[in-house]
Order: sequence, then structure tokens, then C-alpha cells
Amino acid sequence: MDYKDIAQQIIKIAKKKGADEAETYLVNSRELNLEVRNGEIESVQEASNYGLGIRVIKQNKMGFAYINDFRPENLEESVSRALNFARVLTADENNVLPDDPGMTEVKGIYDASLSQIPMDKKISLLKEVENLALKVPGITRSAGASYGEGESEIVVANSHGLLKSYKSTACGYGIGVISEKSEQKTSGYESCSRRFFSDLKPASEIATSAAKKALEMLDPKPIRTQRAAVIFVPDVAYALLGGIIQAINGENVLQGASFLGKKLGQKIASEIITIIDDGTLEKGLASAPFDGEGVPTQKRVIVENGVLKGFLYNTYAARRAGVKSTGNAVRNGFDSLPGIGPHNFYLMSGSHKPEDIIAATDRGVLVKEVTGYGINPVNGHFSGGASGLWVENGKIAFPVKGITIAGTAEEMLNGIDLLGNDLDLNRSTTAPTLRIKSLQIGGE
Amino acid sequence: MNDNFPELKPIDRRRFLLLGFQGSLALAASPLLIKKLLAGSEAHQLDLSPEILKKAIAAALKRGGDFADIYVENRISRTIILEEGKFKSAVFGLIQGAGVRVIDGNKTGYAYTDELSDEKILRAAEVASLIASSGKKIQPASVKEQKRPSYITVKIPLQEVIDSKRMEIMQRAHEAALSYDPRIKMASINYYDEIRDRIIANSEGILLKSSLPLIFFIVQTLAVGNNTSHLGRERLSRHSGLEMFDDLPPEKAAREAVRESVAMLEAKDAPAGKMDVVIQNGWGGVLVHEAVGHPLEADNIAKQTGAFVGKLGKKVAADIFTMVDDGSLPNFRGTTDFDDEGTQMKRNVLIENGVLVKFMTDILSAKQLKMERTGNGRRESFRYYPIPRMTNTFIERGKDKAQDIIASTKNGLYVQSLSGGSVDPTTGVFNFTCREAYLIENGKKTTPVRGATLIGSCLDIITRIDAIGTDLDFGPGICGKGQSAEVTVGQPTVRILGITVGGTKQRR
Repeated sequence: MDYKDIAQQIIKIAKKKGADEAETYLVNSRELNLEVRNGEIESVQEASNYGLGIRVIKQNKMGFAYINDFRPENLEESVSRALNFARVLTADENNVLPDDPGMTEVKGIYDASLSQIPMDKKISLLKEVENLALKVPGITRSAGASYGEGESEIVVANSHGLLKSYKSTACGYGIGVISEKSEQKTSGYESCSRRFFSDLKPASEIATSAAKKALEMLDPKPIRTQRAAVIFVPDVAYALLGGIIQAINGENVLQGASFLGKKLGQKIASEIITIIDDGTLEKGLASAPFDGEGVPTQKRVIVENGVLKGFLYNTYAARRAGVKSTGNAVRNGFDSLPGIGPHNFYLMSGSHKPEDIIAATDRGVLVKEVTGYGINPVNGHFSGGASGLWVENGKIAFPVKGITIAGTAEEMLNGIDLLGNDLDLNRSTTAPTLRIKSLQIGGE
Repeated sequence: MNDNFPELKPIDRRRFLLLGFQGSLALAASPLLIKKLLAGSEAHQLDLSPEILKKAIAAALKRGGDFADIYVENRISRTIILEEGKFKSAVFGLIQGAGVRVIDGNKTGYAYTDELSDEKILRAAEVASLIASSGKKIQPASVKEQKRPSYITVKIPLQEVIDSKRMEIMQRAHEAALSYDPRIKMASINYYDEIRDRIIANSEGILLKSSLPLIFFIVQTLAVGNNTSHLGRERLSRHSGLEMFDDLPPEKAAREAVRESVAMLEAKDAPAGKMDVVIQNGWGGVLVHEAVGHPLEADNIAKQTGAFVGKLGKKVAADIFTMVDDGSLPNFRGTTDFDDEGTQMKRNVLIENGVLVKFMTDILSAKQLKMERTGNGRRESFRYYPIPRMTNTFIERGKDKAQDIIASTKNGLYVQSLSGGSVDPTTGVFNFTCREAYLIENGKKTTPVRGATLIGSCLDIITRIDAIGTDLDFGPGICGKGQSAEVTVGQPTVRILGITVGGTKQRR
């Protein structure tokens, strides 16, 4: 089946049925998922699937339909459904489709050999990582090792003549382990995701890290409620960046639902903070030549030396705000309308070794895990559960569990005083180790 | 709004038969529709011959195995969004597919296809069969269609509702939200409904068909004032026809979202530290859903990793604590006629007067643990194989009056609504963010506080519940566990002694 043909065919049908503008977003993909536990393969899941979304605009009103049944009569009916919806919605002059024919050159997002690598090799990798993790003294059980890979082709076509496609791959594996010591039970998990199979971290590294995460949390001690330094490891960067991503979403800004809405050009974080959104990063897990509606991606500075420089826009929100799309339309699949989201989103690294940041801390917590919703994008409040290692006089003293940390985005972002040099760009939303000078910690 | 919007195509005859008695009442009152029914046929019906189902099961077991099943699904959905006074977008979705599963010992093989051709279904069966290596051969029982009682009744079938009717309901919520308080700057109304048709057949000989309607209605309101802002939310959901809104008026949902938004504008910073917490009846049940429900799902028991391993028959909670999962509560969001493996839904008491009596199983974990099938084998869609999931999970009602529980709490936190939370099923450590909370001072609910987080361990908190109200109520939610599921959570007002609360303010 030629998917570009199908995509264009739908545009033709939509125009014929009276659409002013029409767009097809088509995804054809394949996935493989494997699970191993206690040295045995536990599940194998394999499938390929496809589907498409049809966006139509008539008199500035927009309707959308999605379908995974490509029989001509059903495709035609879906177009009618989308148009029927368009007729009853509210007209909005900002409902337009993009016409930029450009594609950003992005290297290393498709591993053509991925599907050729035999399943046995992938299963062996899981058996190896599990075996290595179980060998670590103190690790008593495996919670299972899993591998997943996906390959997809995305086609975007619209009635302005835009027709683009690209292929991408991703693969990853991880292991969960448990450590039991009398009545205590701790768990540790580590994983690695890459565009290319050959770039995956070795099993020994993943196994060691998962085991360490479980073991270092044994024999926790309570701490009292207090203010102290909070050090975030890269694993928990999302707790900080997630709320910022929502708050710089151009549509949330337009709706007044962002704590950063009125801060463009103002200082929102400490001078050492620079945040980048990059859709062009080589081998980046969130890199792509164009966004969810076909607009070329870019690399942009969002926060520079603490000053907020820009928001993220898709075509609709950009037009409404009187700016150009920043290439940040995201789709969660063929069944979703283009929303707004980042590509590879990261806080630039600093110069300190993570161990030096710990050594420079008199009293505080090295946070290994944060639970909850992170920063509230509407009002900037932060509150979450946390666990990690207590730091006393520059040294790790004991693990702490069941603590909470809370503050405001303003307090947290301006309070960052030390940045690590350990940025790992192989994650799509990430930051180096960072220290917030002082934050409220809830304990006993 | 345009009232001349063309009516949706009528459902075809076969779909109508699948719906069974559910649609028949309303249809009888609508001769026009019956005429259309006979005249037209909708392309996307879900019907496969018993022959292909049998062939797929046989193909799946070709290399051996203990069990095989096929799950066929068709989902027609509508989403409409009203935001900033505009009907911004509307989505019509049609998704179909089939998945074939083979269980061989502890191993599961699974493959699915979007295309419902015999060739693609048999190909999926072949891929799934590759898992089998035990050499164990079974003779699949011949499938025969069976009927099961349904816990879902429909008066106004969704497939007969024109879109302008849906939009009218949304408009009612929107107008109510904006009229209630001048501090409300924006209201967003999200309407979703679907009809999910299922066919389930397996090597034990079952063949079941069902068609389930579902509505999910979300009102969010943004209040601005007092130098801050708060996004309030209320959700309504049932497996039901459009008559849901007669019971649960959209205006009432709007008022509830507005009440929360405005109340929280006055919020002060939450205290931090250990304190007694009273949780309001209804949606607050999400705490036990996460903290206790997930660890009671039998997959992590079968894997020997769960927090409740080895605790069956033992006292795990306070005497007054009884917890139930019941997938047969009429029309609830977590209710279905049978689960996604064809097991009948029923009431399962999980913890009775503090004693752990049952885990929630799917077919695989029931087999591994030699336990009964409880009807908790669920899946998000044909793209996933089933795993043990909750349905409608709640704390059974107690003996205390809600107002007495507050009045007898000297100082603490009153949690009116929780955002949601998560739990590590291995360790049982959970966390929750409060949407709306108040201080309790000298037995009275006083100042609203923002940014409170509750954390603790499941094994610990259920021993610290010391008061349970008579006012059992429920709230709808979406539960995630690698795949999402529609659930209801519930509880009466409860008090838990000494939970760690995270806030920004040092406590006196």
C-alpha cells in the first residue's frame, strides 16, 4: 500500500465534498515487546498497525475524524464525518493549515537494521541484564526485564500541496529488581532507550544501576520536617521541567492558564539556567524533520541565563498570538489533533561533578525519586513525595523515604545554585544534577 | 449552533441485534429510525463468523499451549471540546482490530491486527503461537455463543443521538460555569462518548458478544483572583445512554468545578509534617484504589513481588476496614457485563473486617495462583493483552457520622478532593496530591490550603484508619498501569491517623 497515495486521495475526497482545507496525518508502525523473568521468556507481543487522522476546515470551522480501516468506503465516510462535525463547530479564523514546504535535516533517527536483528539477540540481552542484576549481593528477586522496539513511518499531506514523510525507530530495555532484608523490601529500576540498537548501554551498566537503586534505599531513617538543600539527580528532572513545559505551551499562555504567561523577557530562574528545546538533535529520541502538522522543527532557546525567551506554538496558537509556528505541534498518534509540546527539552549542563555538588552540601537530600505532578503549570506551586539519600556535611549519610518536598516554581528555579556536568542527551526531557539551595522538606 | 445538522447514519440491523434489549424501548418510540434501520446499513459492524474464531484458536494452539483466546473489538467514539466560549474541535473515531493470545505455562504470546480479514487474523494467531514451547497439546472446546446478564441499561442509545444534542448539554454546563461567579475567567467542557463492541472467544468454548456505551464528561473552570489562580474540575462518567445527564445534570458538575476553583483562591500554604487526615467521601477513594487496590491485583502476587505476598487470610487492616471491588454495580464507569476475557463481573470482597480474603485475578494469575477468576481481566483495547485491573473499588460503609468524624479531630487536614496519585506495588509506597484541602482546627474545617501531598505505605495506613462514615459515595476515574482502564473509586468519609503531609509551611 502506498501511504502517500492514500493521504493525497483523502485530501481530494475532502475537497470534493466541500472542504476549504484538508489534511491527512498517517502513521504506519510496527512494535515488538518482550518480557523475561527468572531466566524465562514470559511474554512476546508483536504487531504492526496503521491509521490516519483527517482534519478538515470549512468556513474557518474545523472537524476531525480518525480511522484504522482503509477500505475506500470507510475512508470516504470518515471524511464526511469530519465535515459534518466542522459544520456545527464555532468558526475561528485561526483554524488554518501550514504551507511551509521545508524539512529540517535530522540525522540518526532511523535504524534500518533494527527489524533485522534476531529476536534471540534481544531475548539474550534481557536474560543477561537480569542475570547480572541478580548476581549483585543483596538483590533477592527480579521484577522482570523488558524490551520494546518500535518503527514508524509518518506521512503528512495537506491541501496546500504539502506532502512529507519520515521513518524513525526507537528501542529500549530495562530491569526491575527487589532487595529484601528481614521485613524490608526495596525496588530499583533502570532502563535505556535509543534510536539505534547498537547505541543501547551494555547490560552490565543497566544491571549495576538498577541493583544500586534498590540497595541504597535499605535501612532508611526518618528525618524531621525542615528546610534544607535539595539535589535533583537527572532521573527526576521531569519533576522540574514538566510544569515548565506546560507553562510555556502557547495555548495555555493565551488562555491565561500559565504561571509564566506574563513573564516573557523577564528573569524567571537563576542566571546559571539555560533551557533548550531542540527538534534537530542528532539521534535525539524526540527529534524529527517536521512536527505533527508538517512544520519544520527548530532548535530554540527557551530560557537564557535565567530569562524567559519564548513559548511553544503550533499553527493555530501561533496565528492567534500573532507569531509564527515554532514547529511544536505534537500528535499522540493518528487519533489525536495537533496539540503543543516540546522536542528534546533540556537544561544545559554546568561545570560541577555530581559528587562535588554533594560534597558542597552541608545538609540536604539527594532526591532519587519524586512522585506526584511536579510544578502546577497554572499557579506554579510544587508539592510532591520523594525518596533519596540524606546528605550531612558533604557526605551521604542514610536513605530517606516517605518525605515530601514543596515550594513554588519561583523559589525552586531561582534557588538553583549548582549545576552538574552530567547531562545525558539520550533522554528527551532531561537536566543535569542540580541543587536547589533551600526548600521545605516534610518528614516526621 | 446549527440545529439542521444531519442526523448520524442509523445503526445497522446486526448491530441492533447485538445491542439486544437495551435499545429496543427507545427504538419502539422512534418509527423514523426503524425505517432508516431497515433502509441503510453502516459499513463498520462488528461481526465475525464462529468459523474464523474457531480457526484462529486452533491456529494459535498449533504449537502447543494451555489456553488461547481471540478478542475482537470495534470502537466508535466522539469527542467535542468547548473552550473559551467556542466549540473548538470535534473528533469522530473509528477503530477496529483483533488480538490473539496463547498461554503456555507462565508464558504469554500475543499478536494483533487492525484488519479483520481472515488472512490477517490467522497471521496474528500464528505469531502468537510462536511462544509455545512446552509441547503440551490441548483440544480446544468448540465455541458456542453464550448470553450473560448485563449490568448496563440504556434508555437513550448514543447511536441515536444527534450531535447538536450533545453540544446542547455542553452549552448548559458552560453557561452555568460562567454565571456562577465573576472570578471564573474560563470554562472548558470536554465531552466524550463511545460504543465499544466486543467479541471474545476462547479455547474453553466461550463465545460472547457485547456492546457497551460509555460517556465521560469533564468540566474545568479557571478562577483568577487574590493574586493566584486555580483550575477546578468535576467529572461525570457512566456506562450509559444519554439519560446519564438526567441523573447527573451538567449544571451541577459545572457548579462543583466552580466551587472548587473559587474556594482554592483563598488557599494558604499547606503545612508539612505528620498529621491526622480526614478524607471526604467519594473520589477520595482513589487513595485506597492506588495504595491498597493495586497491590491486591494478582499479577504482582503471582510474580511474588507484591506488597501483600504471603498475607492472604491474615489481618492487614483495622477491624472496621472492608474493601470491595464490584464490576457489577449498575451502569458504573468501571462496570461491564463481563471482563475482557469473558469472565462474569461480580462483587469481590478483598479485605473483610481487616482480614485479606481475596486478590483480583485475570485468567493467567488465577491459574498460576490456583485461585478463582474474579472478573478483573481487562485491557485498554485489542492492542493490549489483558492484565488484572480494578473495576469499581471502594471502602465499604462504616458506622460513624461524617460530621462527628470532623468534630472529633482536634487538629489535622481535611481532604475534600485528591488529584490522583501513584503507588509502587512492590513496596506499597504511595503518594497523592490534594486538589482541595482544608485545615481542621479544634474539630472544625477552617482555612483552605494548597499544595498538600499525602505519602505513606499501604501496609501502614490501612492499620491506622480509625473512623469510617456511613456516607459511601463514588467518583469516576482513569487508571493507568501500562494501559488505561475506566474505573470508579469510592469511600465514605474516613479518618487516617498520622499521615505524612507535604506542604511548604513549617508546622508550629
